[in-house]
Amino acid sequence: MKKYNNIADKLVKSSIANPERIYNYLLYISAAFFSVLIIFPFYFLFVVSITPQHGLAEVRYLPTGFQWENYIDTLEIVPLHQYILNSIIIATITTVFVLIVASLAGYVFGRFKFKGRGVLLVAFLIITYFPGTTYIIPLFRLFTGNISLFGLATPDLYGTPWPVVLPLAGITLPLATFILTVFYSRIPDGLEDAARIEGCTRIGALFRVIVPLSAPAVATVGILTFILVYNEFFFSFLLTDSSYNNWAPLVHGIQMYEVTTVRGSPYHLMAAGSILGLIPVTVLVFLGQKKIVSGLTAGALKE
Amino acid sequence: MGDVILENIVKQYEDVTAVENINLNIKDGEFICLVGPSGCGKSTTLETIAGLTKPTSGEITVADREVTYLPPKDRQIAMVFQNIALFPHMNVHDNISFGLRLRNFDSKEVKKRVENAAEILQIKEILDRMPDELSGGQQQRVAIGRAIVRDPEVFLMDEPLANLDAKLRVHMRTELQRLHKELGTTIIYVTHDQAEAMTMADRIAVLNKGELQQIAPPLKCYNEPANQFVASFIGSPSMNFIEGKIRSGGFESTHINVDINIGNYDDLSIGDPITLGVRPEDVYPKSNSPEIQSQSDPIDAQVDVLEPMGDEIFVYLRLNVGAEDGPTVTETSSADQLLMSVDPDSDVSTKDNIELVIDREKLHLFESGNGNAITHGIGEQTALNQNR
Repeated sequence: MKKYNNIADKLVKSSIANPERIYNYLLYISAAFFSVLIIFPFYFLFVVSITPQHGLAEVRYLPTGFQWENYIDTLEIVPLHQYILNSIIIATITTVFVLIVASLAGYVFGRFKFKGRGVLLVAFLIITYFPGTTYIIPLFRLFTGNISLFGLATPDLYGTPWPVVLPLAGITLPLATFILTVFYSRIPDGLEDAARIEGCTRIGALFRVIVPLSAPAVATVGILTFILVYNEFFFSFLLTDSSYNNWAPLVHGIQMYEVTTVRGSPYHLMAAGSILGLIPVTVLVFLGQKKIVSGLTAGALKE
Repeated sequence: MGDVILENIVKQYEDVTAVENINLNIKDGEFICLVGPSGCGKSTTLETIAGLTKPTSGEITVADREVTYLPPKDRQIAMVFQNIALFPHMNVHDNISFGLRLRNFDSKEVKKRVENAAEILQIKEILDRMPDELSGGQQQRVAIGRAIVRDPEVFLMDEPLANLDAKLRVHMRTELQRLHKELGTTIIYVTHDQAEAMTMADRIAVLNKGELQQIAPPLKCYNEPANQFVASFIGSPSMNFIEGKIRSGGFESTHINVDINIGNYDDLSIGDPITLGVRPEDVYPKSNSPEIQSQSDPIDAQVDVLEPMGDEIFVYLRLNVGAEDGPTVTETSSADQLLMSVDPDSDVSTKDNIELVIDREKLHLFESGNGNAITHGIGEQTALNQNR
């Protein structure tokens, strides 16, 4: 017992003397915890993706077999690349649209003072509080041409990219606008004035000076929007059929294995498909990270 | 040609009037300084010329073209900012050529102009650097370079030297003057530093509370200020002001009386409250003032504080020496003080009682209410007055 007391005493004494050491330990422990929490699902997905179908039931932490052909089967059974392409196109359109509109809105909110600015910005954010399920029925009627405006039926957009692009743009715009508002408001007025004197219009100054100087924020908003749309399921499930010819996105493609397989659930193919689907987003994030160079405004203005 | 004409420019914000009916007529090639204390509307005036803010009313003409409601890019102006405002994401070359590239100049012309500007400003070696790698002086040169490559009709400068250290500021001042001679372009220069205005400008426009007080060559502003504000703002240290009244013999105040032949001035009548202004260098100790023709009557004073500046000494004087127990600090109000500047070899020391004279030729009289100047210099004391 005495010995234990000594160790405990020593520990207490040394940690009082060097609190940094305890902080470091805590940091490592929590970092390890979150790493495992995030990385393990990917690991498990990978393990499943290389497991033969008959070994699926036994999968725990280590692969029960190595069947790399799963990746080839994945593409042969369902044209997953078509679904991935659909997702990339839909996500790109949405992201470009959101970045342009949110930049213009962020410019106005961030750089002009007008009555009701704060209220308007908050009201804008409130849109995001509502879950998509609350308005899917009116949206469905709208996008399938069942609502008439001024005597004209709305166009039937079922099976086109727009029933996904439009609601998702609407959902992501408020937050994007909010983030860009904060960043654009921080760009010194002098730089915008200088750009306007040099020959830019206000919009020219926005896209030539303010946006490039807010590159980290713009890249962040762009990547977040892209990922959200790329992973989208809810709106596309209800507003497209599951055919890639009708703009069904990636998640539908993965779901298609369930439909096309006769015996059992092909979890190994779905896992392989998921990993293939991850590739474009991973590439995007790496490219985006390179573009994010912060601290660009250092030395811009003397205060 | 680079004429700039402002007609009745008014700029009102919700609760304040920043610029109140300003008229300026600036000739091509002139170097004009707008000076005034902070908040006097000088920067707002410049911004209306630049087009960064629109005037509430009035008309602006730049280079014979009415530009009141044109955007800045169409006004043939260039501007240098107090905070320099180089684009941090572009190197020096791209910063300088930004305006040219926006206007689709071909690359040969851009190259030629940038090199020419870099030559003039001696920044050839740093064209590839980023703005944050430059010193303050270099950044300001680049900002000036960005302004001159476009060959505008008018340069607008908003306190461009305010953020530089004192030595560099004096150096850049001479460079700006050299540049002005070399280019011959109209320059409108905003500063709160009257010394900068005095040294560089062809004409100074003094502003206060959004109103133009006087526009005149620097020495005229100095020697014949239009009103008390200009008199106090131009010149350092500031002019002495003594408040008093007109009596039959002239000006009378607690400590200083000056004989004035009030019949010579229509604006003066007995009983008027008048402020007398005199610059520190026009006050002399009586002992070494024989060369001054137009001396005033001697004034008793006591030396309070000395500030030796090297080339001259500022002497703070107390005028209430006649008081029974002598002056004490608490009794001394601004009305009892006078500032004099003397040669550094003068033998004055603290607590000395001395007699002062004022150069009557350099006296200024202002109406006490509105501060308007009545006259500058009242001539020699006449026999009539001396016999009084």
